[in-house]
Amino acid sequence: MKIGICAKVTADTDARLSPSADGGSFEFSGKSVVGPYDMFAVEEAVQTKEKHGGDTVVFTVGAESDVLSQLRGSVLALGVDKAVIVEDPALANADALGVARALAKAIEAEGVDLVFCGKQAIDDDNVQVPAMIAGLLGWAQVSRVTAFAVDGTSFTATRAMDGGIKQVVSGNLPVLITAERGLNTPRYAKLPAIMKAKKKPTERRDLAALGLSAEAVAPKVSTSAYGSPPERPSGKIIEGDTDTVVAELVRLLREEAKVL
Amino acid sequence: MTTGDLFNPTEEHRMLRDLITEFTQQEVEPQASTHDASGTMNVELMRKVGELGLLGITIPTEAGGAGMDSVGAVIVHHELSKSDPGFCLAYLAHSMLFVNNFYHCSSEQQRARYLPRVLSGEWIAGMGMTEPGAGTDVLGMSTTAVRSGDHYVLNGTKTYITNACEGHCFLVYAKVEGRVSAFIVDRDCPGFTTSQHIEKLGMRGSTMAELIFDDCRVPVANLLGEEGQGITHMMRNLELERLTLAAMSVGIADRCVDIMIRHAQERRAFGEPLVNFGQIQRYLADGYAMTEAAKSLVYHVAHHCGPDARNRIGTDAAKLFAAPVGKTVADYAMQVMGGSGYCREYPVERLWRDAKLLEIGGGTIEAHQKNLSKDLTRSRPLA
Repeated sequence: MKIGICAKVTADTDARLSPSADGGSFEFSGKSVVGPYDMFAVEEAVQTKEKHGGDTVVFTVGAESDVLSQLRGSVLALGVDKAVIVEDPALANADALGVARALAKAIEAEGVDLVFCGKQAIDDDNVQVPAMIAGLLGWAQVSRVTAFAVDGTSFTATRAMDGGIKQVVSGNLPVLITAERGLNTPRYAKLPAIMKAKKKPTERRDLAALGLSAEAVAPKVSTSAYGSPPERPSGKIIEGDTDTVVAELVRLLREEAKVL
Repeated sequence: MTTGDLFNPTEEHRMLRDLITEFTQQEVEPQASTHDASGTMNVELMRKVGELGLLGITIPTEAGGAGMDSVGAVIVHHELSKSDPGFCLAYLAHSMLFVNNFYHCSSEQQRARYLPRVLSGEWIAGMGMTEPGAGTDVLGMSTTAVRSGDHYVLNGTKTYITNACEGHCFLVYAKVEGRVSAFIVDRDCPGFTTSQHIEKLGMRGSTMAELIFDDCRVPVANLLGEEGQGITHMMRNLELERLTLAAMSVGIADRCVDIMIRHAQERRAFGEPLVNFGQIQRYLADGYAMTEAAKSLVYHVAHHCGPDARNRIGTDAAKLFAAPVGKTVADYAMQVMGGSGYCREYPVERLWRDAKLLEIGGGTIEAHQKNLSKDLTRSRPLA
């Protein structure tokens, strides 16, 4: 079995995102990480390989110079066998569909049977790419999975629904799974594996190598601007004796905040 | 491939730092205050550190270690000490004072017996050098070892020994016919006991006790190297000990800088955040500058220190400079935090207590001054 993982190198959870000065893009301060939901996908892929054997390969879109080090430390050092990085100038401003087309072609080229993705990236919160990949490949997709098992060519997955209800689904491979928190507990990389991560194969592919043209990934949706939320108004301090303060507070809650 | 970064010279160093940072935040920080309060070492956590492959960080991969250099060792001590210097001290006693020292002076048979146990953390280890009557004056030690058939018989006491309470084996220095020699003493060697836990001010996430040898019979197979080679083993390892202790001071200072910068922005007085007050700005700015200076010195020395690159001057200078920085910056952080800094609810008072040990343990400030003066004059003799 060949198992794929789609991972995005993104801003760390404690990084501050902010629109650029011209509002045309967003920036972040702090370090880059492989997205936390993607780490559940990595762990599930490695566990599936440990149980059933096979090869694991991680796919990402981005500049190799920006993403390779994080892929080595957070993915290859955890037991994934190989990295495929899709890098092409035409992908610099790609929308979700463009990224999905590139990843779907790379997945197809590797002959993968099963793909794990995080349920979403934590920077743009688009939650589109995994479903688009499954659609482009003509595969089944199960989203927000909290338990997963493979038996031969069939799978069973438990997914989280609203209100804490769990839905159990089953089907045949190939399938794309998106990982929800709770699917597993991602392991720490072990230092000896970190030291060997550099020796694992990494391949860089451009669009031509995947049989795609720049037009095929041209964005169908373009971003007009990024903007910050309005600053929260400062709080009010009510002064006076208790009766005055309570009366004024009730008035403000009723007339200004309109919550009473 | 090197990156040109003093603190993360290779990609592996950067990945190591990311690993330790995450592990420290997830596993080390949550247990730190509990073990500080109880004065106990977290053995289970040490075994988790073993699972990550960190207990043999400086020994070659062929021997089961990680094959990293002194910079790697400094990164681990720096990052762990941001959360729990007490636990880090137990890690240092195990992985630097025992594992690193042992590896460089042991035979293949000795490595086969001890390394699998200490690298996994199944066995906790430590080192015995200081005695009730010989601290800085280490060569004045009075513990003796006398050959008796296929054993050595050890008599004497080692004191202030980190990991003594939990330890399964210890690297111990004793004099054979007046010459310092090194032995491995197992917990079950006849005639070997440890004292009660010695209570201490800080570094309470590690324990300390005496190692007592009363006609203690140690197999000849446990002699490290040859009789009389103990000084060479000791001096080589003291350099890495000083360097990693200095890295702990940097970790304490780094954390305290973070804490006081945050507090000075959040806390308000007279209608303004504390950071607007010049007296507070002095603590922030001076604390940051001295922390960065200590960090740069410690990492610079780490680039020039290893089993094949002796650097007594550098490591003495690094610890001489960094230890007071750790203590001073922890004091600054407490001053900026005021009453809350003095309370056990926040980590600063623990770091403040921990920081003091680094001006004493692994060489007092005065010992570093003595060594440096001696080495510097020796290297620059008058014509």
